[in-house]
Amino acid sequence: MLTGTAPLRVQMENISKAFGAIKSLDRVNLVLRAGEVLGLVGDNGAGKSTLSKVLSGATVPDEGRIVLDGKEVKFASPADARRQRVEMVYQDLALCDTVDVAGNLLLGREPLRRVLGVPLMDRRKMHADAKEMLGHLGIRMPSTRLKVENLSGGQRQSIAIGRAVSFDPLILIMDEPTAALAVAEVDAVLALIKAVSAKGVSVILITHRLQDLFVVCDRIMVLYEGRNVAERLIGETSIEEIVNLIVGRKFQSVSAGAMSAKAP
Amino acid sequence: MTPAAPEIARGRRASEWRHRAKMFAHDSGGVVSIAVFFLAMVVLFSLITDTFLTQTNLLNILRQIAPLMIVAVAMTFVITTGGIDLSVGSVLALVNALAAISLQAGLPWPIVVVLMLLVGVALGLLNGFFVAREGIPAFIVTLAGLSAIRGFALYLTKGYSIPIDPASPFNEIGRGWVFGIPLPAIIAVVVFIAGYVVFNETTFGRYVTGVGANAEAVRRSGVNIQRVVVAVYALSGLSAALAGLIIAARLGSGSSNAGVGFELEVIAAVVLGGTSLFGGRGTLVGTLLGALTVAVIGNGLILCHLSPFLTPIVEGVIILVAIWLNFRIFRTGRRAA
Repeated sequence: MLTGTAPLRVQMENISKAFGAIKSLDRVNLVLRAGEVLGLVGDNGAGKSTLSKVLSGATVPDEGRIVLDGKEVKFASPADARRQRVEMVYQDLALCDTVDVAGNLLLGREPLRRVLGVPLMDRRKMHADAKEMLGHLGIRMPSTRLKVENLSGGQRQSIAIGRAVSFDPLILIMDEPTAALAVAEVDAVLALIKAVSAKGVSVILITHRLQDLFVVCDRIMVLYEGRNVAERLIGETSIEEIVNLIVGRKFQSVSAGAMSAKAP
Repeated sequence: MTPAAPEIARGRRASEWRHRAKMFAHDSGGVVSIAVFFLAMVVLFSLITDTFLTQTNLLNILRQIAPLMIVAVAMTFVITTGGIDLSVGSVLALVNALAAISLQAGLPWPIVVVLMLLVGVALGLLNGFFVAREGIPAFIVTLAGLSAIRGFALYLTKGYSIPIDPASPFNEIGRGWVFGIPLPAIIAVVVFIAGYVVFNETTFGRYVTGVGANAEAVRRSGVNIQRVVVAVYALSGLSAALAGLIIAARLGSGSSNAGVGFELEVIAAVVLGGTSLFGGRGTLVGTLLGALTVAVIGNGLILCHLSPFLTPIVEGVIILVAIWLNFRIFRTGRRAA
């Protein structure tokens, strides 16, 4: 595992953010190494989303600093974060259903060709580029001409991840990429996450599906009511321990126990 | 390579083609259905009247359809963004009246044409500003426009029809012939082709579809979606002004009563063609067929000597049936859940 040896890519230090009287984040720290997959877990309202939004520039923290590759950065908007090569795949995926796969992958940066001086979309290049982008990550797609509305949930997720990766990010944040997917599709998306991190991209994975963490993550960080409560290397923990850390007490989870081979 | 490789490749190519065929059927279901409906109307009116399928009548339809066709092209853009423009009939009337007034005041006709087109763009920009920048629903903004802009026309003309000098070359815009085809029809064809290329082949057209499908996704891609929306309403205003000029030239007069109910006819043509009122799904070929269908129904019913008091009822029923068929049988115009 890369953890512990690869250079630090991100250090978030003492990040605090309050929404009115509610302290969503209270002096939270996060470190992420190059090529590492970090699982970010916690109960609803623990601050996972807020923390990821701070890193993606969607939320400006009240306090704290972010150090990216040794340099302090300030993100006032998602555009700032994107400029520093931080990409986020949102849960709603941000795809245009009635536009085809290639069009979605290249939305906003379509290759052009000039016909009689008029700039038109270069469809052939779009489909070729799209095929290459997908092939690069091993994403299988029947055709780049399919409209996104005709794809399965897993395929849509793959398109969203593929698009984010095509911006050549240093850090990719994924919010619940495997929620509401069929079993085989979860495996495909997890394999995709592995492929992304193998390219040296640092990944933050937010998920409620704890078993997924043990497939792809190098390390798990647990938030509880806006505070760091624990960090575990994946080889040194179990689902039961993570469940207990998430809920903040010893908890006999029927659902988590059923997933684990060594139920108590 | 194993000997089987070419066969696998062929299999892949075949599946790619099957996909394309399936996609075509899925994407074009609405267009096919309106094409069938259009042909049915043509056959029907050819059978029940002697005059429908004559050269004179067909050219007449072409000339009459031009304003509808021109505005329907722009309206396809507007509706595909998820918007609507109810003010086109009123913009048409204002331009119609203003053109006659300025010609009467002695302005040279080319200047009048340019000025009137600019008036249309300006009114469209105004609509676009309130829709895109201020976030007021397009229905409300353009409904206000529908009332206020025709009000302007009424105020300027005091309700009178203003004649245009019959000798003015301006009238050729509505009455001229080029190679045996009415000039308005040629203008409409040019507008259609330009619209088709912009809609399907340019990034602007792509963003128009994208804004209707998921505006947030387009915005996150770094596209200035407000500019896209404003531009769409400006185009709509421009097209309505062009239609106003053609009608003024054809009738040789300007009136504040021009184009009453025109916006509904345009919207009917666009929706008949299979463009979704929810946005994200537009087709200009469908709009062409929709506009032709609306025009053929109007023309055919007159040739049938149907009472003019019954015509609107029959028109409305036919349009509803066509759209119902489109929804139920061809399952288009619906959004996937």
